[in-house]
Amino acid sequence: MKKYINTLFIGLGVLFASTSCDDEFLNKTDPTVLVSDNFYQTETQLVQAVNGVYGQLRPWHLSQWQYTEFISDNTTLHFNPGNRGNGPSLEALEFWQYNPATSNITNLYNSTYGIMVNVNTSLSKLPESNASDAIKNRSEGELKMIRAYLYFHLVQHFGDVIVITEPVSSPAEAFEYNRSPVETVYQQILSDLNDAVALLPSSYGADDIGRVTKGAALSLLGKVHLTRKNYAEAIDALTQVTSLGYDLLQDYGAVFDPQNKNHQESIWDIQYQGDNQFGVGSNFIYTFAPRESVGAVIDFPGQDGGGWNTPTNEIIALYEEGDLRKEVSLKEGYTSLEGTYIAVPYINKFHHPHSIRGVTNDNWPVIRYADVLLMLAEAINEEEGPTGTALGYLNEIRDRAGLEPVNGLGKDEFREVLLNERRIELAFENHRWFDLKRTKTESELVNMLNAYGLRERENPTTSREGIPFSNNDFIFEAHEILFPIPQDQMRINSSLVQNPGY
Amino acid sequence: MRKRYDWMQSYLRILMTFLMVMFVMMGYSRQASQISGIVVSVDDNEPLPGVSILVKGTSRGTVTNMEGAFSVQAAPGDVLTVSFIGFESQEVTISGGRTNYEISMESSMGDLGEVVVVGYGSQRKADITSAVSVINMDNIGEVPTTNVSRLLQGQAAGVQVRQNSGRPGEEMEVTIRGIGSLGAGSQPLYVVDGFPVGTSLGQSLNPSDIESMTVLKDAASTAIYGARGSNGVILITTKSAKEGTVNLDFVVNQGVQNIPDGRRTKMMNGVEFAQFKHDSFVDRIRYYENREPSIEEVPLEFRYPEQTTVSTDWFEEILNQNARFQNYNVSLSAGKGGIRSLVSVGYINQEGAVIETGFERFNVRANIGGKINDFISMGWNIAASRSNEDYASTNGRSALIGRALWADPRYPVYNEDGSFNDYIGGTNGVFGTANVVQELHEMERTLSENNLLTNGFLEFSFLKNFKFRTSVNAILDNTEQKEFRPSTLAGTGFNQAPPREATLYQRRNERLNIAADQLLSYSKIFGNHRVDGLLGYSVQEETYKYLQGNGNEFPNDQVTYLSAAIRQTSTSGEADWSLMAYFARANYSFNDKYLFSASFRREGSSRFGANNKWGNFPAFSAGWRISEESFMPETRWITDMKLRASFGVTGNNAIGNYSSLSNMAISNYVLGGSIANGQVLSNFANANLGWEQSQQTDIGLDWAMFDNRLILTAEYYNRLTNNMLLSVEMPVISGFTQSLDNVGKVQNRGLELALDYRTMINQVNIRSNLNLTINRNKVLEIRGENDEIWAGGFYSTYNVAQVGRPLAMFHGFKMVGIFNTDAEIEAWPDQDGAVPGTYKYFDANGDGVISYDQQDMIEIGNPHPDYIIGYTLGGDFKNFDFNLMFTGAFNYDVFRNIEATTMNMDGVFNILQSGVNRWRSAENPGDGRGATTNTWKWQRESNSRYVYDASHVWLRNITLGYTIPKNPVVPHARVFFSAENPFLFTSFPGTNPEVNTRGGINIGVDDEAYPMPRTFTLGATVRF
Repeated sequence: MKKYINTLFIGLGVLFASTSCDDEFLNKTDPTVLVSDNFYQTETQLVQAVNGVYGQLRPWHLSQWQYTEFISDNTTLHFNPGNRGNGPSLEALEFWQYNPATSNITNLYNSTYGIMVNVNTSLSKLPESNASDAIKNRSEGELKMIRAYLYFHLVQHFGDVIVITEPVSSPAEAFEYNRSPVETVYQQILSDLNDAVALLPSSYGADDIGRVTKGAALSLLGKVHLTRKNYAEAIDALTQVTSLGYDLLQDYGAVFDPQNKNHQESIWDIQYQGDNQFGVGSNFIYTFAPRESVGAVIDFPGQDGGGWNTPTNEIIALYEEGDLRKEVSLKEGYTSLEGTYIAVPYINKFHHPHSIRGVTNDNWPVIRYADVLLMLAEAINEEEGPTGTALGYLNEIRDRAGLEPVNGLGKDEFREVLLNERRIELAFENHRWFDLKRTKTESELVNMLNAYGLRERENPTTSREGIPFSNNDFIFEAHEILFPIPQDQMRINSSLVQNPGY
Repeated sequence: MRKRYDWMQSYLRILMTFLMVMFVMMGYSRQASQISGIVVSVDDNEPLPGVSILVKGTSRGTVTNMEGAFSVQAAPGDVLTVSFIGFESQEVTISGGRTNYEISMESSMGDLGEVVVVGYGSQRKADITSAVSVINMDNIGEVPTTNVSRLLQGQAAGVQVRQNSGRPGEEMEVTIRGIGSLGAGSQPLYVVDGFPVGTSLGQSLNPSDIESMTVLKDAASTAIYGARGSNGVILITTKSAKEGTVNLDFVVNQGVQNIPDGRRTKMMNGVEFAQFKHDSFVDRIRYYENREPSIEEVPLEFRYPEQTTVSTDWFEEILNQNARFQNYNVSLSAGKGGIRSLVSVGYINQEGAVIETGFERFNVRANIGGKINDFISMGWNIAASRSNEDYASTNGRSALIGRALWADPRYPVYNEDGSFNDYIGGTNGVFGTANVVQELHEMERTLSENNLLTNGFLEFSFLKNFKFRTSVNAILDNTEQKEFRPSTLAGTGFNQAPPREATLYQRRNERLNIAADQLLSYSKIFGNHRVDGLLGYSVQEETYKYLQGNGNEFPNDQVTYLSAAIRQTSTSGEADWSLMAYFARANYSFNDKYLFSASFRREGSSRFGANNKWGNFPAFSAGWRISEESFMPETRWITDMKLRASFGVTGNNAIGNYSSLSNMAISNYVLGGSIANGQVLSNFANANLGWEQSQQTDIGLDWAMFDNRLILTAEYYNRLTNNMLLSVEMPVISGFTQSLDNVGKVQNRGLELALDYRTMINQVNIRSNLNLTINRNKVLEIRGENDEIWAGGFYSTYNVAQVGRPLAMFHGFKMVGIFNTDAEIEAWPDQDGAVPGTYKYFDANGDGVISYDQQDMIEIGNPHPDYIIGYTLGGDFKNFDFNLMFTGAFNYDVFRNIEATTMNMDGVFNILQSGVNRWRSAENPGDGRGATTNTWKWQRESNSRYVYDASHVWLRNITLGYTIPKNPVVPHARVFFSAENPFLFTSFPGTNPEVNTRGGINIGVDDEAYPMPRTFTLGATVRF
């Protein structure tokens, strides 16, 4: 009898377990996505993994203005008394009220490491993939270039940071890493960049335009050396770029025209595409346009902008008479659909016609040739003084802007003029904060920013509708030159040490 | 625009009326004579009132009166079934010529002899050794409800049923013995006719089809459902035919619903709002410029508030104050012979208390079953339902109710030409918004669901004591949702004037769930030993698929389908899970005195990591019927007394389907001007992810007194949830900020008391039931000692889980008053940006700064009630009966987040009427609750100002019934009146103290939900 029961039981059991073994019945994977264990194997997959990293740079660049322009003296905001939701987050950057809990600093930190994991994972899986050597080399160069770019941001923003170059296999492993000194971070950056220079091609076939090139790696290498005040190395790297066929466009406006992407002046652009709904568009103007413009700036019925990253009175005043770049870079106001002129300025560089609301076609210029020329001029001035070569590069830029050349400057004067020229030429392209940190001493920077803050408090660029500033708004303290390590990371890992002052 | 089945309602009404009349006119006669008698107790020979006398095989019957006397129509040869709670039932055969009987009844184990449905079987109540609550369907009254979850309300200790809103058709939120999980779900498992259908009943069941419900609370009773037993199990048995009877039953119930005045939030009217705006301009100039403003400095529209001509109460405008409720059910059951069957049809229609919303459902159910021969029995059950809902998005300040509160009252609903005024507000800083009435009329928002549930079994009896049962269950659900927002409406954000781009969202889902069980059971009595055994094997698999489309920009607002959209996007997907389990259970009782039970389940789930798919769930319990011991004195105080204890382990797998795997996500780029596919990691893999486990200890006492007239059940439980499935933070250098892991420990301890009392006072039979639940929740461990989990936001509130405290406690600034002067601000720790009239916050960390982040936030409220009660009082007198049901919860807080908007003093929203008592100057500081209009800061952050005690008692239901005296035509007919949610007693200022608009672990937040109506219905039940 027992036997009979057993047989029946097992028989029916097997029948209902769909004639397969238990484990198979209980193994379910999401049919809508791929599982990472089976990825990174073929050449297509390796290329897709690298593309995925580029894909992450897209959203990442949509918010970098906050940490480079908005925080600086270049831009401010159009205060919105009705919506205070950004008080402790975005506005904390503008008013220098940030602390370890400021969510936008957490976002910067987290999203950067969120790209890093894909760089590191792809690099670690790359040797075992069955891709061709050519693709492996190119991919390695691309990944290392991007890794260097990300660490360069981290080290400038946070100082000592955790350097991780391998994927971790368990959460516990991630707790073993600690912050490395700035010097070590730069060693990693330089090592990656030197590899990238060696591995990357100078140009790509039509299908791959948009990938990073040797020129981009050399330009970034030059910028890192410049930041490190290694002027000779900077000159060396940047000079190599000048022989790669880049040139300034005649028309400053054409530099930003989405009809004219990846032109001779662009060395590395983050690629966006509008006019479709594939989710690869940009939306800069939607953030930058005045917030009550109701279709008068962005040409869709009722469309407002965010009212963020608003050019300050100060930068507007800095444009010389006749500077052709002013009209391209910014507008001092707009005419409402009812016909009233409203004097709320906005950034115009990334404002072009587009067919779908919320999806623009504007690329983001990370490195362009004008930047290289100005860096070269800066490096030469620091290394050799304001030589004719240095002046030549500077005047090339001024000439395109329709301005008279400058002459007869001393070294310090040249430095000032050059910094202003960078401020105007590269306005709103996420250079200002790093330029200030690179060229100013701590006390210079603190004094300069507080003076700017005082002016903005006394005469705000835009109306605050009667709402006064808080006492601590626009007070810059020396420790704020470095961002704090986000509170969440500090809390879960007690071995981390916070930046001083926070 | 709405496409509900209006024809159906009128058709049903006519049909029902016709049928009733017809059956009343029919009628039959039979040779029967009047039999009378008296029923007494054997013990003391006292008459027994309230004894039920039924002529067997018919539905004719009566109950004895105060003197124990009865009289009933019966023919010679008929058998009278005599039954009474606490006494052995007996049968008396009517002999020819004798018309008077004296019947003596012996007291019994009473309802302990009842059979109770338990997991994978049933058990005599006397033998149960675990914490099981049987819902007494008689205690519920005639409830006008669309959802079965309502039937659980107030009925069982340890079961908290919260009605979060008045949305028609809404399923209530059921929690058994507290929230045991931070990361995975906390809903109980529903088992319908033996099959686990999931953690939600949805719309599949008609409340009229429910025969009985049992709630399994402790681990000993739920561990047999291992996987999903942690949060308790609710077993539902649907009706089937009663043996030996043929019945045709009709139920009709109709009524109206409305929102009483006390459940409305009072906002400023037009004049008050204009005055408020006027004053805010004046106050600002007075404070910042220290001068008296001239009249011209106030915008014209607010300059003379008393001249405001329009005053619209937007909330009033969206109410449907005579919303209809209708419910019809017909069932035919045939229980004569070996095979019994039942067919039932139901229709329910509930108009919403908000205009243009409503819910309707059709249900059919059929079952057939019985003995084929001595060895084989079988059963088959098939149920189908179709529901249609016109819904509205109502929760939160930017949803309908929120906007009806804050919209500018100085605008009319309609223009002079009768068309909708399509943009409300939007001037001088007041936020512009859509006309909510227009939105309700013009938006198309429908949700329909088809549900098919079918199951069947075959059972073989062999070798006398063995049974083998094989069964299979299938559920097929389809839902379709459509939401079209025409271009005529203003946007849902602020200041988005019409016309806008029309948008469409359409989605279809399908869920197929198939389960099969094989059960081998053994049952034998040897002398004093009673043994039951069960072996089982169960598999279940579910597949969910969806297809969704979005359309933007339509050439017109008439054609509302994707094909008409100028831009379309679509997406589709699928998700599956499966589980497999082996289980066994053994019950042993000796002499009906010592009871033991043990069960074990080993279960595998597809949701866990490769290394930890299988979990083991053992449970043990024991009972001791002290009353059976010879040393216990015979006393009226102890009719029956049982002490029981149990321990068991249960599991929880209510997490995402694929959480243990690391998947790739799309991250595309543009290369060479075309889209280039890119892939990135989407989460951190955790191959060790395994079962969340709860260990629960339960000690219970069942004590019946006075011939079962008073029954006390008391329980103590301690439930420890270990290895919680929790998103745990990890260093972001890993690429991710968190991963799902098994960490942490939560404890729920509690006491449950249920008192059941029946008596008779002056011919009135009274029954009452009181249940009391005290649950204490505590987080014992997260990862490290200091780990906390914050969920929520700076401008709403945070629900924080902190070691040593209950989970989900409100955290925010502690508001200690309002600053009156600049000097006070100077003297206080630095609260940057504060001006006189802003809230004064406590410097919790004592660093001299109230920083604008979480550093000074502390615990400000507790969303868990100290205790909850349910109380039912019912009775009957002659042909009248009544039933009252109360629920209550005491000493807990609700965070009125909506007040951060409706008491937002910027002048961008209309505000609460009580806002007239806001702070205006040091001389005129108001009621200390409303802040100044002079700034935005330090008012709306998560703070204790918005925390309110929400203790309350609801009178949930009043039912009054009258049974029409028996007549040969209609053997049983009853008419009734019912009032649902008629009275709420509370000091809570919101409209519903049980509101929980966010759910999950963000509990107790009031963002203003669909209002709670009261419902009055009249109905009848007729049985032939």
